[in-house]
Amino acid sequence: MFKTKHIVKLVLVTIVAALFLAGCGKDKASTGSSKDVLAKIKEDKKIVFGVKYDTRLFGLKNPKTGEVEGFDIDLSKALAEEMFGKDVKPEYVEVTSKTRVGLLNNGKVDAVVATMTITDERKKEVDFTDVYFDAGQSLLVKKGSKIQGLQDLKKGTTVLAVKGSTSAINIREKAPETTVLEYENYAEAFTALKAGKGDALTTDDSILYGMVEEDPSFQLVGGTFTEEPYGIAVKKGNQELVDALNKALKSLKDSGKYDEIKNKWIKN
Amino acid sequence: MDFLAPFKEVYSLDNIKFLLDGFGITLKVAAISIVLSFLIGGLIGTLRYMKIPVVSPLLAVLVETIRNLPLLLIIFFTYFALPEIGIEMEITTAAIAALTVFESAMLSEIIRSGLNSIEKGQIEAGRASGLSYFQTLRYIVMPQALRRMVPPIVSQFISLLKDTSLAVVIALPDLLHNGQIIYAQKGSYVIPVFLLVAFMYFIVNYALSLVARRLELN
Repeated sequence: MFKTKHIVKLVLVTIVAALFLAGCGKDKASTGSSKDVLAKIKEDKKIVFGVKYDTRLFGLKNPKTGEVEGFDIDLSKALAEEMFGKDVKPEYVEVTSKTRVGLLNNGKVDAVVATMTITDERKKEVDFTDVYFDAGQSLLVKKGSKIQGLQDLKKGTTVLAVKGSTSAINIREKAPETTVLEYENYAEAFTALKAGKGDALTTDDSILYGMVEEDPSFQLVGGTFTEEPYGIAVKKGNQELVDALNKALKSLKDSGKYDEIKNKWIKN
Repeated sequence: MDFLAPFKEVYSLDNIKFLLDGFGITLKVAAISIVLSFLIGGLIGTLRYMKIPVVSPLLAVLVETIRNLPLLLIIFFTYFALPEIGIEMEITTAAIAALTVFESAMLSEIIRSGLNSIEKGQIEAGRASGLSYFQTLRYIVMPQALRRMVPPIVSQFISLLKDTSLAVVIALPDLLHNGQIIYAQKGSYVIPVFLLVAFMYFIVNYALSLVARRLELN
């Protein structure tokens, strides 16, 4: 008696759970966010950029002013002005490596400018503009470390990375023998490196330079071993918005405005 | 001395104000979720206790389903999956909704077991003295059960308050999230920020525990 009751319950629970999950797959196109994003931007007179709030040099919130600051923010501001003049107000929403694709797809952000590497895998999910920044993955170690490059990442070494980023995937490919530990964000990964939880930290060189600036007892070694072209991501099927962004990016590069912004943040 | 330098920098007026902003969000989300989940959980727990055909078993299935999923998954689901079927929510609303759903299930179990702990004799005595079933429930069972439930309910509220920090995954700008932003400014800030954040959570949760102790004594 006791047992049959339990089995019935278990079956019911499974059915409910299955219904739950089935419900979330359908109707992808029929939500309100399927409207053309460019048209929506013009209509609302605002463009919502998804940016990082916790990444030095690219997008970092300043607790004093409450403003987000960095290369991604200045660039997106300039792009919005180039595309729409003063008519359309740029707004910022926080994204992380884990949430950015979801937020694009459900229409909470119009474009993601958040140190996002263009990859074939991601191209299946979102549309990318041309490259707006060329980064490359590298290694950060304590000065005097025995690790001087990829070749030293043998069995028994530990490399720290950040969840949801391409660098974690790349390092597993390039140094399959090493152990990879993934942290929530760069600050935590860097603290873990300082605390000796790993032998090296890997991510894009542009972000690593920000860490060296903060603590010069660390250094980059071995040069870059991947190409990490950053692109602006928009929801799939919005070619017009991609074209507009590309055109604006090109004219910023031609006018020298792009270099001005880049030199302000990235010094190396 | 070098060890203390980051502490001085972190514990500046601006940073503390920024953390308190986040703490405000934490408390707001927790308070609304506590009220909602207490009402919903109370209702579900009582309905299940009353063993109403069809309703009670259905609620049992619902509670078992939710209670056995990780809260983190429910938060993700609320924010990313529900918009796919047309239910759009702001970050704060999504966090409150997810917490309420989860904590209601937890609380309903506490309330149901509290009610079950009252001896059958109490109900029989109530009924024999001429009270209706609902009157017995309201005046005899509930008051006794509630007193027994206070400690586990308050524990659940305390864990709810701490669980709000799970909503950093959908970038809810709560206490922990704002702490993360401060230590993103500089790596050496991590430990001072953690200590301050821990202290803030502790103060409020300890106050809750003290209130619970008071309630138990009365």
